[in-house]
Amino acid sequence: MPSPIADLSYRNYDGPLEPPVFRWWAIARASMQLTLKKRGFWAWAVGSGYWYFFLVIGFYFVDNFVPPSMDINGKNPIFQQLIWKDQFLNAFSISQLLLFILALMLGAGSIANDNRAKALLVYLSKPCSKLDYVIGKWFGIFLPITVATLIPTVFFYIYCAMTYRSYGFLSDDPTLGLRLLAMCFIPGIFHASVALGVSSLFDQGRLAGATYAGMYFIPLFVTKVMQFAHMGTLDQTGPTPKTIDFLFYCSMDGLQIALAKNILHTRGSPLFLSLSGPTSRNPMSNAIVPEPNGLIFTGIFLLVCGACLALAWSRVRAVEVVG
Amino acid sequence: MTVASIKNLTVKYGNFTALNDFSCEIAEGCTGLLGPNGAGKTTLIKTLLGFVKPTSGSGTVLDLDIAHQGKQIRQKIGLMPEQDCHIPGMSAVQFVAYAGELAGMPPEQAIRRAHEVLEYCGLGEARYRNVETYSTGMKQRIKLAQALVHGPKLLLLDEPTNGLDPAGREDMLELVRSVSHGKGVNVLVSSHLLPDIERVCDRVVVVMGGRLRAQGAISDMKKLEGFPVDVELREASTSFVEAIESRGVAITGPKVTTYRLQAPGLPSDVAAMVSEVAQSVGAQVRGFAVAERSLEDAFLEALK
Repeated sequence: MPSPIADLSYRNYDGPLEPPVFRWWAIARASMQLTLKKRGFWAWAVGSGYWYFFLVIGFYFVDNFVPPSMDINGKNPIFQQLIWKDQFLNAFSISQLLLFILALMLGAGSIANDNRAKALLVYLSKPCSKLDYVIGKWFGIFLPITVATLIPTVFFYIYCAMTYRSYGFLSDDPTLGLRLLAMCFIPGIFHASVALGVSSLFDQGRLAGATYAGMYFIPLFVTKVMQFAHMGTLDQTGPTPKTIDFLFYCSMDGLQIALAKNILHTRGSPLFLSLSGPTSRNPMSNAIVPEPNGLIFTGIFLLVCGACLALAWSRVRAVEVVG
Repeated sequence: MTVASIKNLTVKYGNFTALNDFSCEIAEGCTGLLGPNGAGKTTLIKTLLGFVKPTSGSGTVLDLDIAHQGKQIRQKIGLMPEQDCHIPGMSAVQFVAYAGELAGMPPEQAIRRAHEVLEYCGLGEARYRNVETYSTGMKQRIKLAQALVHGPKLLLLDEPTNGLDPAGREDMLELVRSVSHGKGVNVLVSSHLLPDIERVCDRVVVVMGGRLRAQGAISDMKKLEGFPVDVELREASTSFVEAIESRGVAITGPKVTTYRLQAPGLPSDVAAMVSEVAQSVGAQVRGFAVAERSLEDAFLEALK
């Protein structure tokens, strides 16, 4: 079949060429375009905000089905007891697994698959530096995860601000909006950095994914076992050793939750606690691990992210592009 | 006019010297880069792309300094690597357009140009297929397409016919030849295959042991001293040989029915003499050409 283009001889390109700066954005944009085409991404991204959805439904029922006779000064007693920022913290904690799956989907193969396909030959033979490549890949993971975290949080914040102002939603902590904004950047920064570092070690996306999953689940399992062991000793006398509290946060989830607690400035409360009675009367409230030292955990967070990015940086070698 | 100029370049990897006081000029047109394995060809390409910092010496590519303007150089250069490479998950048109964007093309120009270049490289029908499903020949073509998309002034081709069947090799060489002649694209072809170099290049640079062994036009390198001529007869003739030798002309052969004559004087004088002798002994001359050696002979001599 003849070509639809009549003149097939080579013609030179003399159109515009942008200066060789900010190439990382082209890489990030292409990564995100590929991401948005994956149906799995949409499923997990929408699913990651499911706890906010349950909260909205739960609040609707509490609002409409609690008998008016229980009202104190014409106000719903359950909403009066709510610690609003803890609702966000709980939703953030619950979404961790789903955000991890998103990160696994987007990040595990980001450099590993490029290694397999020798895509660096393409990237680095163009006016892209190692820095452009690493930053571009990082943003390609960071932005989708951050948006997936941010949208349900903003949606729920606006919903509560419009509906529960009279219950102190805005007055309890006027800076809550900014704190939530900062909190929403944590999973994106963390997963983008760690996934990139792990991915750079392999030339098969599946191997990188399996390793990343191992790094996620093994410490999570250990810290969860510790948490349950800790809960089993709650009725014994004496405070929990600080080391145990510290180690509770030594998983991917734990590290992010520790930072979120510091940003929101709360120790957190168990799920449904506020809907079942005052904190002081609920034995579960003792099982909450206190807010950790923010300085130490910010340092650990930055160290882990920086080390993973440095690893990715060192594994991208321009010299191997040719030969 | 030169597209690249290298002066006293030394490149070291630790204690190993890959290029040793290397100087060469790469002229406009199509140039072949020849040399055995480990000669320093790859290091030269890396240095031209700005990936390796020279220990000493200097060089320019398209008037840009190789030591400090690597990005600017790579924007004006297209590299077709030896190994298969692609961006996972992309169709051919997405891949080539993306390569254009990486080179600095605006997205709308990149996509338009990607279609055009894929048609030129013979991949128009397969442009919406995922590159991972391509055959070896198609992968070679798409590597050329991604190197050409941004309209480079200099194209570096590393073993462009690797893994191709004879027909595919012919097509690729024809593509390279057409792009390097009269289209304003200068080409540097690194290859071990001398027939490929001879087919598409006008000039060669011979490298060995990190040093320049020879450079110049292929036609000059193939020239033999004096003006030896090859005379092809209808059939081998001893009387022709005797008659020629009696005139004091050195003769070798026959190679099948071709004799090489080393006679004093210009080829036109020798032609007249051969015609006269052939007539006198009744030999039928089928061909007459100024003799030249093969590129392989020239290459081997340069390496000695």
